[in-house]
Amino acid sequence: MQTYILSLFVFAAQMNMRACLVEHWYQIMKRRTITLLMAALMATTLLIGCGNKDDTAGTGDKTYTVGISQFAQHGSLDNCREGFIQGLKEEGIEEGKNLKIELQNAQADTGIANQIAQNFVSNKVDLICAIATPSAQSAFNAAMSTDIPVIYTAISDPVAAELAKEDKSSVGNITGSSDKLPVEAQLKMIREILPEAKTIGIIYTTSEANSEATIKEYQAIVEQYGFTLETVGINTVADVPLAAESLLAKVDCLNNLTDNTVVSALPTILAKANEKKIPVFGSEVEQVKIGCLAAEGIDYVSLGIKTGKMAAKVLKGEAKASDMPFESIEESNLYLNTKVAETLGITIPEAANTRAIEKFDTITE
Amino acid sequence: MLEVKNINKYYNLGTVNEMCLFRDFNLKIQDGEFVSVIGSNGSGKTSLLNIICGSINVESGNIYINDKDITNKKDFKRYKKIGRVFQNPAMGTCPNMTILENMSIADNKGKVFGLGKGTNKSRVDYYREQLSQLNLGLEDKLHTKVNSLSGGQRQAMALLMSTMTPIEFLILDEHTAALDPKTAEIIMELTNKIVIEKQLTTIMVTHNLRYAIEYGNRLLMMHQGTCLIDKSGAEKDKIEMDDLLQMFNKISIEYGN
Amino acid sequence: MGIIISVFEEGIIYAIMALGIYITYKILDFPDLTVDGSFPLGAAVTVALITRDVNPYVTLLISFAAGVIAGICTGLIHVKLNVRDLLSGIIMMTALYTINLEIAGKANVPIFTRETIFDNDLVNRIFPEFLKDYKKLIIIVIVALISKILLDLYLKTKSGYLLRGVGDNSILVTCLAKDSGVVKILGLAIANGLVALSGSVMSQNQRYFDATTGTGTMVIGLASVIIGINLFKNMTVIKATTAVIIGSIIYKACVAAAIQIGISATSLKLITAVLFLIILVISRDRKKKVKANA
Repeated sequence: MQTYILSLFVFAAQMNMRACLVEHWYQIMKRRTITLLMAALMATTLLIGCGNKDDTAGTGDKTYTVGISQFAQHGSLDNCREGFIQGLKEEGIEEGKNLKIELQNAQADTGIANQIAQNFVSNKVDLICAIATPSAQSAFNAAMSTDIPVIYTAISDPVAAELAKEDKSSVGNITGSSDKLPVEAQLKMIREILPEAKTIGIIYTTSEANSEATIKEYQAIVEQYGFTLETVGINTVADVPLAAESLLAKVDCLNNLTDNTVVSALPTILAKANEKKIPVFGSEVEQVKIGCLAAEGIDYVSLGIKTGKMAAKVLKGEAKASDMPFESIEESNLYLNTKVAETLGITIPEAANTRAIEKFDTITE
Repeated sequence: MLEVKNINKYYNLGTVNEMCLFRDFNLKIQDGEFVSVIGSNGSGKTSLLNIICGSINVESGNIYINDKDITNKKDFKRYKKIGRVFQNPAMGTCPNMTILENMSIADNKGKVFGLGKGTNKSRVDYYREQLSQLNLGLEDKLHTKVNSLSGGQRQAMALLMSTMTPIEFLILDEHTAALDPKTAEIIMELTNKIVIEKQLTTIMVTHNLRYAIEYGNRLLMMHQGTCLIDKSGAEKDKIEMDDLLQMFNKISIEYGN
Repeated sequence: MGIIISVFEEGIIYAIMALGIYITYKILDFPDLTVDGSFPLGAAVTVALITRDVNPYVTLLISFAAGVIAGICTGLIHVKLNVRDLLSGIIMMTALYTINLEIAGKANVPIFTRETIFDNDLVNRIFPEFLKDYKKLIIIVIVALISKILLDLYLKTKSGYLLRGVGDNSILVTCLAKDSGVVKILGLAIANGLVALSGSVMSQNQRYFDATTGTGTMVIGLASVIIGINLFKNMTVIKATTAVIIGSIIYKACVAAAIQIGISATSLKLITAVLFLIILVISRDRKKKVKANA
């Protein structure tokens, strides 16, 4: 024991002495070494990616690698993704069996969306699933010179995004599904529930292409249903309270799109609207749950499933993305919140009541 | 000729700390005069320099150079014909530029700073010559950055740089105060040499009574915004250190400084 | 090798922006947040012009000019209206958000079907088949090299000396009978011109403009400048502008490596911060040593 401790002591002293002597040299070498180490580490990481190929499980069965590039964290985008994976599963392509998924989220940064797309391309994935417009555009751009197909979802207007032609046909090795909101059905429903209403207000984020596209649609047909449209654009979630105040003073009801930022501030908007007894209509089931009066919504999970099935076709080689026109969900479902109707003193017409696919009688926090 | 007329200067005007520094202050400086300005702290020496150079504004009054009213002229415009050396050696040079670059940039004063070459190769020998007269070894270090020089060396450079181009007035704001005695001596002698050679009208603020007496041909002693002593030529030569010290004591007692 | 090429592509595009930040941050000692607005300004101007069939090479010059105007505005706000440097940049950045949307017309403007500096008749003819993969990279390098060389040459001129002087000691500039405010404005103009140019190249590379582009530009640029300058601190043979370009490539490589490993984008920001810290600490060691011995 004693000799052990002694030798440890001597060893430590030796190291210390050595350290002092070479300290100066050490400082200089330290920076160069660390730089070289970092460079080596990065190069290795990147090159490992280069070498990635599809695993063949040895039995001859092909394992598909799918890269999912999601633009931002958001309820409906997450639902799309879940639906997409489910859709693949329903067609026999399942994680753990013959599917490997690389999931990346760009956190609303287009620069990162670009790098994610390039990463997928260099990793030679079999298919890229892009959720939301900027991610889809980055993926399209990166995959253009390869034969990796891109399947997009949650894009309101693929034509404006130049990812599809006017007649819905493809512009390249890319196709997908559009989450176009059922504008007509929504307007019909609002007229049904509020026969006297004149103005509809919409809050939207100026940087959301999807919202821009949807509002254009509203502006085109809103008169047919005897309404006028008032809109307020915001930049960040902090702008919402004031925007809501200013809009509520001029309208009979509010209408919500699937705008990320606005939806995240929905509780604030609902609180202000309820004070003035102004009903808020939503575009998705989740929004009705938390206090919107009603919504002609599309089910994002169903949209995702549809997209997953399209992707499965392409992966199995049954169809080419360039031959597939983009799809959307035509039918919308009516969701109602009877508790909200009660609080606002609004009677829901019988027809709507029976038509509704789901009715909520509480307001979830 | 430099003239300040009817200058009224207040500090912190309109506040509790309002202080009147100059009240109807007048001063005339003829061409070729080398004026030493001494005085107690807060007497207005540096403020006077700042007013002349345009760094601070005055409430009322005018400043004339060669009978031209420059009261409303911006400070950088006035510096065309004025060279200034500050007390802080760091203020006279660019620390992250080399000695050669500093000399080059100073050499271009008064001319257009366009897209021509920053350093004129044909002038490098002239810079070397100028630097060698300092006897500080700077002429061999043309490519070192100025921030590695000592305070004295930087001040010497500041002096050279401010007098390299044709100017009429040289403003020295306690420029030897931050230097050790030996370096201060070198700088003072160099200052004198340059002033005589280039016939510059000079105003030198200093706390060093010996310098005030030895150099220059006019002496001003300021106190609370007025000139208590103003002697030039032969009269100035007669002044001794003791006279000045006595004066300082007197004002300390009288004015409770 | 695709990933290495794209790292270099991204790195060098953003390097042009880093050169601009080098001017404001290092030379002028002015933390300029305008860049978060002038980077997408270049992109917005470019897509607006390209969708109107303007020659893509001309859009590079016009974007540079737009950036210059943005820089001049920041400078005027700072110098004439006496607003602090940080705040002037923030004011311009906020204003530019709206201006960029107006210029682009929509929040998302794709230019997949248009000619860009990377994809037009001339370029497609010049490049032989075996160089096709490197086509984009070569063009980007050319644009970056031209910017860097022009900047290096400029910093050696009398005007360049004055610019370096105003960041170092603005009092001296005043004593040289020059308006230090005007010199600062000039520096801001050139810097934001470069940043907008970078935005222009970037938008032509990614083939679309999105209103969310731009947020975080300052951080990327600053990271590139600091990494570059500190890593090559005592190697005087490597010019500062070169170091900045290399720093930008290193930064983008780190991001790519992180994505490769599977790190989420949110963690990416934390990693950037840690990277920053490591680099600063490594270079701080040296400084301390010198002080102790001096």
